[in-house]
Amino acid sequence: MKPTSATTEDQDHDPNDWVQATVQQHQAALTRYAARLLGDPDRARDVVQDTFVKLLAQRREQIDGHVVEWLFTVCRHRALDVVRKEGRMKRFEEGEAERVTTLEPRPGRALEAEETSAELLRLIGHLPPNQQEVIRLKFQNGFSYKEISRITALSVGNVGFLIHTAVTRLRRDFAAQRP
Amino acid sequence: MNDKPLSPNDPRLTAYALGELEAPERAAVEEALAANPALRAAVEEIRATAAQLETALAAEPAPSVSAVIVPQPPRSRVVRFPVAYYIIGGLAAAGFAVLVVRYEPPARVVREEAQPSYTEIRLDQGRESAAAVQDKETPLPPASAPAPAPVAVPAVAEAKAWSGGTGGFPAVDSLPPATVSLSGAMPQASSPSEQSRIRGLAPTNDTVTLSPFEVNASKDTGYYAQNTLSGTRLNTKIEDRSSSISVVTKQQLSDARALDIADVFTYQRNAAAAKSEMATVKVALPAPPTPNTETYGLRQDNQFVAVASEPLSTFSIDVDSAGYSNVRRFLQSGQLPPRDAVRLEELVNYFPYRYAPPSDNQPFAATMEVAAAPWDPRHRLVRIGLKGREVASAARPAANLVFLLDVSGSMNQPNKLPLVKESLRLLLGQLRGDDRVAIVTYAGQSGLALPSTPVTQSREIAAALDGLEAFGGTNGGMGIQLAYDIAKANFVPGGVNRVILCTDGDFNLGVTNQGDLLRMIEEKAKSNVFLTVLGFGYGNLKDSTLELLADKGNGHYGYIDTRREAEKMLVEQVQGTLVTIAKDVKVQVEFNPAQASAYRLLGYENRLLKKEEFNDDKVDAGEIGAGHTVTALYEVIPAGADEKIPETSVDALKYQKTDAAPSRKVASANPPPATRTPQSQELLTVKIRYKEPAGTESRKLEFPLTDRGADFAAASADFKFAAAVAGFGLALREQPAKASLLADSIRWAEAGRVDDAGGYRAEFIGLLHQAQMLAQ
Repeated sequence: MKPTSATTEDQDHDPNDWVQATVQQHQAALTRYAARLLGDPDRARDVVQDTFVKLLAQRREQIDGHVVEWLFTVCRHRALDVVRKEGRMKRFEEGEAERVTTLEPRPGRALEAEETSAELLRLIGHLPPNQQEVIRLKFQNGFSYKEISRITALSVGNVGFLIHTAVTRLRRDFAAQRP
Repeated sequence: MNDKPLSPNDPRLTAYALGELEAPERAAVEEALAANPALRAAVEEIRATAAQLETALAAEPAPSVSAVIVPQPPRSRVVRFPVAYYIIGGLAAAGFAVLVVRYEPPARVVREEAQPSYTEIRLDQGRESAAAVQDKETPLPPASAPAPAPVAVPAVAEAKAWSGGTGGFPAVDSLPPATVSLSGAMPQASSPSEQSRIRGLAPTNDTVTLSPFEVNASKDTGYYAQNTLSGTRLNTKIEDRSSSISVVTKQQLSDARALDIADVFTYQRNAAAAKSEMATVKVALPAPPTPNTETYGLRQDNQFVAVASEPLSTFSIDVDSAGYSNVRRFLQSGQLPPRDAVRLEELVNYFPYRYAPPSDNQPFAATMEVAAAPWDPRHRLVRIGLKGREVASAARPAANLVFLLDVSGSMNQPNKLPLVKESLRLLLGQLRGDDRVAIVTYAGQSGLALPSTPVTQSREIAAALDGLEAFGGTNGGMGIQLAYDIAKANFVPGGVNRVILCTDGDFNLGVTNQGDLLRMIEEKAKSNVFLTVLGFGYGNLKDSTLELLADKGNGHYGYIDTRREAEKMLVEQVQGTLVTIAKDVKVQVEFNPAQASAYRLLGYENRLLKKEEFNDDKVDAGEIGAGHTVTALYEVIPAGADEKIPETSVDALKYQKTDAAPSRKVASANPPPATRTPQSQELLTVKIRYKEPAGTESRKLEFPLTDRGADFAAASADFKFAAAVAGFGLALREQPAKASLLADSIRWAEAGRVDDAGGYRAEFIGLLHQAQMLAQ
């Protein structure tokens, strides 16, 4: 799950190629993250695009080695800008996430695992927004506590506490739903 | 690092399990783990959960991404371009239009004075739109056409004040390009949140980098644009915006011959027709002050029925008490209740009576009494009292409760949602540690505010309850669905499984058709999950809907208007509210024609059953809770009275023997013949059918009653009091209310005022005085 940083080998190519590769690699994850913050896939795409525009303006050597973290940080700032400007934030309503996407089947997965996943996602949807965000950064994007701390501008201790609280609650709620 | 022993609920443990601890701390945790198997188990659980979360989140649906974004190398312009402005900018490119932004604060900050309003008008003709104006048939540039490069316009600098003093709108085609007008007063924001909202509309100093975007106004037809504006950047439907924005198109201006901005405001969008494109122009009318939209079902009084033509009277019991609280609320606010809000049986059943409890294993006992009717001494008044078995709190089975709470905007009043929370806290205080509680909310969306949680975790339950806020429309149907699903998922076999619905009854979203709603409830009731409906608030109370819901959903309906009422239902009578001891309880009274010539049932008008339905187990009827009392009153005209028996609706039968025939007919329809005793001294026989709470087959109990000719003065206190309540109900159902009967009822009630434990009878006498004053 740990995202690999796009770094070394294409050092000599045109800088645009590097950006192109970075886009290819991280666009989907960033869009998903932004869509969660904004509650709107359309705006999320705009925000992600803005994020890559900023990447172009960035001197590569300054961010090499922590590109992914940098992208998430910028993306987060942009998303929060939009939220602040529009004076509201719409969270994903239950079931909306499913509607956003394709119906493509996921073969090879046992039905029960699917149900477990669906149930967990539903429970995650009931967590407070800040817990949801760190949970996704941790388990969906594979960031460490420290990286999450830098992306979200929360202290490492605070990140640890939020993740702990969320995991504890998910464990309990999940157990409670299956008597 | 601190030396406190690790508990399984320590964030460090989670950090350790996820591999996030640095070496020294890690060593400390490992040491603790080695000593404590519980901690090791917790770490395993955290890791298992983490793995599940990774799997689940990896499979989480994600928005699709747009093809490939090739950002142009950093030639991007930096412009001052506040959000509200580029809506307008897009409009400009789309064609001629006037943007009217009306800032309306959310209802909770509405104040009487100084309704803030903010008006922004943009009148423009861009390059593309100029073509469109000259030739309306010219299509807009195709989506693939190169987007007009966003013009670097500092909004404020280019804005030209347009005072409206130029003699109205200039001719459309002669307008200068890019005329921007901002007018209207900025709202005086008082709260920080309001300020930030308003700032969102005003020009700010923030720098925004725009990515290329396209404009497409093809959806904007009719008088009102459907999108804030078109273009990939802010392709938002107007109806999705939090502020109320109307974008008026050129069409309306020309059709309405609008010469001035005031002309535009003359025509307002009609809220009900908001989604239709045309025909939305309507002159705004001031809203009527606080409309009363309470609804009550029509009720016809039961009439006297001749025993000769119909010796059987059949009805379903009803332990609702909402009717009384509601009538009380009217009287205390100084008005007589609407006639149809007075449900006589609910008035009588509101009060506790001291009927003898069942001595054996029966779920209930019947106590009967007969004496002269106080309002007409020639008539006999028969009281049938049922008393449900008492169940002690410790003896009742574990409860699985789902609170289904209406948190729609209409509940945002002190006597609604706050009272709901207070009532539920009272109820929580009565629950045992092994009970479970879940909270489902419904407004525009339904949600699970609290998964089924043991009552021992009271802090979490309290936190979930405190966190509820009222807002949005009311999609009751979805909430009911979810609540029953939760109740079924946590079903306690043989226990108390109940959905407790708290609402003002206004279902205005989703399944709103009453028939569909009832069918759904009826279906859900088959799952042996019972329903309690608690009505709150007034002004918008859909009393008829709630009573029907409770009726169809194997439940009962209470109305809570005060904390005291909540205490009565949820503390004093909590066992009755929670524990159903018998369901589908039907009563059939057979009158003896030798003793009675006519009868009428007081109240229960919408609970009447056909005589065949008594033995038909498929027919739904009322429930009785632990310790509940149910009282039914019959007014009987004795046989041989010189009074003219009320005409029945059909002519006398030509071929039937008129004397003993009806009784024989009934007897042959209802074997065994041994019970055929027309010469009996008994006045009547009460037959009761009921089912066990989870049963499907009914059982029958029978209780005969003989009239000893007692006087009203000799009757028991409970009898006198019930008669007074009936008199009160009859008087209020007269049009106009009958003051003399109310005055008499006061005397009877005083005679029945003994052992008044909760003070309910004293309160009733106060209400009688109030009603009498109002009726005069």
